[in-house]
Amino acid sequence: MSIPIYTYDAIIVGAGLAGNAAARELKNEGKNVAVITKLHPLRSHSGAAQGGINAALSSADSIELHEFDTVKGSDYLADQDAVEFMCQKAPETVRWAERMGATFSRKEDGQIAQRPFGGQSSPRACYAKDRIGLTLLQTIYEQAFRLGVKFLDEWYATDLIYKDGKVSGIVAFHLRDTQIAIFNAKSVMFATGGYARAFKISSNAHANTGDGLSIVARHGLPLEDMEFVQFHPSGLSGNGVLISEAARGEGGKLFNSKGERFMERYAPNALELASRDVVSRAIVNEIREGRGVGPRKDAVYLDVTHLGKDLIMQRLPELRDLAITFLGLDMIKEPILISATAHYSMGGIPVDIPGHVRKNNTEFVEGFYAAGECSCVSVHGANRLGANSVLEALLFGRFVGKTMASEIDDIALRPATEDDAKRAIDEINWILNNNGDERVAQLREELQDTMTDHAGAFRTEESLQVAVDKIKELRQRHKNIRVDDKSKVFNTELQEALEFGHMLDYAKFIVESAIARKESRGAHFREDFDKRDDVNFLKHTMGYMDTSGDIKLDYMDVTLGKHELKERTY
Amino acid sequence: MSRETVTTQEVKFNVFRFNADDDYLPYYKEYTLEVTSEDVVLDILNKIKWEHDGSFSYRRSCRHGICGACAMKVNGRATLACKERMVDMIELFGNEMTLEPLSVKRAVKDLIIDKSDFWEKHAKIDPYLVDKIDETPEHENLVSQADMDKLLDADVCIQCGACHYACPAVAINEEFIGPAAFAAAYRFEIDARDQSNNARLEIVDQEKQGVWDCVKCFECQEACPKDINPIEKITKLHNMIFKEGMANNDVAARHAVGFERSIKKHGILDEGELVRYSEGNIGVLKHVPVALKMFTKGKIVLPWKMPKADKLDEIKKLVESSSTVKY
Repeated sequence: MSIPIYTYDAIIVGAGLAGNAAARELKNEGKNVAVITKLHPLRSHSGAAQGGINAALSSADSIELHEFDTVKGSDYLADQDAVEFMCQKAPETVRWAERMGATFSRKEDGQIAQRPFGGQSSPRACYAKDRIGLTLLQTIYEQAFRLGVKFLDEWYATDLIYKDGKVSGIVAFHLRDTQIAIFNAKSVMFATGGYARAFKISSNAHANTGDGLSIVARHGLPLEDMEFVQFHPSGLSGNGVLISEAARGEGGKLFNSKGERFMERYAPNALELASRDVVSRAIVNEIREGRGVGPRKDAVYLDVTHLGKDLIMQRLPELRDLAITFLGLDMIKEPILISATAHYSMGGIPVDIPGHVRKNNTEFVEGFYAAGECSCVSVHGANRLGANSVLEALLFGRFVGKTMASEIDDIALRPATEDDAKRAIDEINWILNNNGDERVAQLREELQDTMTDHAGAFRTEESLQVAVDKIKELRQRHKNIRVDDKSKVFNTELQEALEFGHMLDYAKFIVESAIARKESRGAHFREDFDKRDDVNFLKHTMGYMDTSGDIKLDYMDVTLGKHELKERTY
Repeated sequence: MSRETVTTQEVKFNVFRFNADDDYLPYYKEYTLEVTSEDVVLDILNKIKWEHDGSFSYRRSCRHGICGACAMKVNGRATLACKERMVDMIELFGNEMTLEPLSVKRAVKDLIIDKSDFWEKHAKIDPYLVDKIDETPEHENLVSQADMDKLLDADVCIQCGACHYACPAVAINEEFIGPAAFAAAYRFEIDARDQSNNARLEIVDQEKQGVWDCVKCFECQEACPKDINPIEKITKLHNMIFKEGMANNDVAARHAVGFERSIKKHGILDEGELVRYSEGNIGVLKHVPVALKMFTKGKIVLPWKMPKADKLDEIKKLVESSSTVKY
């Protein structure tokens, strides 16, 4: 079978906010760019963001406060040069999105409306009712489409063409007919999204399987800070579907089975609007100590009834709808059941501010860029503040697109050959032909259960070791999988098998990085090391996987700045 | 309806199966599953795939009603699988139901359909804000919330296609743009920031493809899982076309105007005259056989026997006061 080779200036994998923003910049500069997505661009998980996008727009707020809140929220693990860059560019980015058509909610005077969010000194989250992601994703896609960016829907990227420190394209197959193709390009950007789908209770889309991270890791390139997974305080009981922080930002209160507003004990000043890691641990702790509610006693109450019907319908209509669908509870009339849910990946593919992917602590890969949730700049450090994720994706996606456009003419195209597709073909053929007796869905469920139970909001050496051992076992059993579907038409079972292979790889990074980090910082909480340890761990984890699947850990300095280390209280 | 316990019951599903490469015709496969009171339809699809037959295929991603990937049909009724509760389906249809793709004739693999026609229609209406984009703005556009509210949530459309494939006009007229794309046309056309100078109105004003070929059956309203109410937007587009004085003097626009004339004249609808006015004195001749049948069954009357509504004066005043355009 001959493999078609398509040639572009730039290939972008992933069509969420970051990918679309980069593509638009490249197209605007006259570059020949294509965006590859395993979904349709408008199905990307950026669209699920609810609460808002941060920017210090008002005179009562300041860029410096936004920086401070972000650095404090990160538990001082964020790189402050990157945070400064993001916070400074935030107002322009939000207004640019508005100019392109985003349907922000408005204040009386017609300016963009803002609401309070967790861990923030000022109402800073610019919102569009409770659907900020939907309008931002639509808007950036529409404007990229308007410029004529080429979108390749339902193409699944399986491999990166990486040799001699240089990336020169990707290998992908079309889900429609499983036809493999090589996309040869001067530069490649990964904007492949997050990895919280490795957890059972998760707010993430089925698609968020972190493929991009493991594709990178399989080439021996590093992944940074993978142990930092954000558990959002308010996922719907049972399935983890997100109920935005906007519910608390607008005044929602949390209660346990005794009717106590328990956040008074955990964060006496900020209460429900403390940083996400703080609120999540408080909720999980209440449940662990027997004060949970609901049919499984695995939730606490989130009560917004006092806000009244008008405000709820005006600002939180989507959330109300979700609670009705999944819980049968109407938040206008009664409290709803929520608990912590795996939500966001702080770690990822290490990049510098302009988006160059790191080969190690000091060197970069030629022709390879990343932005958005799959990347680690790092602006979120150990814990991301609410409404900073869509900001990061849109802002850095755009900026990395500019970087690529300015560097592309200095990069020589290394022509691809059919051999470059060999790894991808072997992997696909192995899955289709392997004749074992393990089912991917079963293995995946066991992995997700393990990650939620043993690598969740509370961790110990013991629990993490259980996860390490389980992953080892699953990797063995994975060699023995069998898929029912041998066809070439929308073989979604093949796709799920490929995705599970990626999950297994990056889950290993998560737990091994977490075991080695013997401290508690942001979202990573070790009950056996319950304090932050700046002497030994004020540094980024850099994990490298070798060809046998073993992971070696190294560390990289944090870029500090004007916001000095302090104890973090809310 | 507070949820205190989780209950389960058995449901039989007849599931549409088809593989465009292997199967000459589609077939239905039966699965009997334990369904819990927490399940949505997508959970059922997942159970079939993960526990019974890995080759069963469908699109899905966000699993909470915001990405639009998983639209399909339950007992012929369009829905978004991840947002439709099984308890509601059981209440509506009992303990046996049929799961099918949005469009059987466009099926490629099980519930996955070829949606290229849907995206082509979407692309047709210039689905983006037309304005010169300031790449480094220091201020946002000032827009009142009242102006934003005029979008009537058309911007919340998730392009799931449920309305498009429920639309009978789409089914028989390949050129017809369809309710989802019309809602998108409205979303941008009404946006106070848009500078397209009615370009979209010209597109949706065209015969065959445009809003005049909507048959006003309200299927799109029924099908929409996000309560966008596409036909409301279609009606708004009709009005906008008249207001802008852009309506062509064609059969579609004359059909709409004919309604107004008839109500003004009689207070009730004169169906015979409506057709004559819409199609002209020559065009109307082709409808004579139908007209004769209608006449024999008393559905239409001879022009001079057309009755008048009670209080015609008041109706005339109402029509005048609500009309913004003179013809």
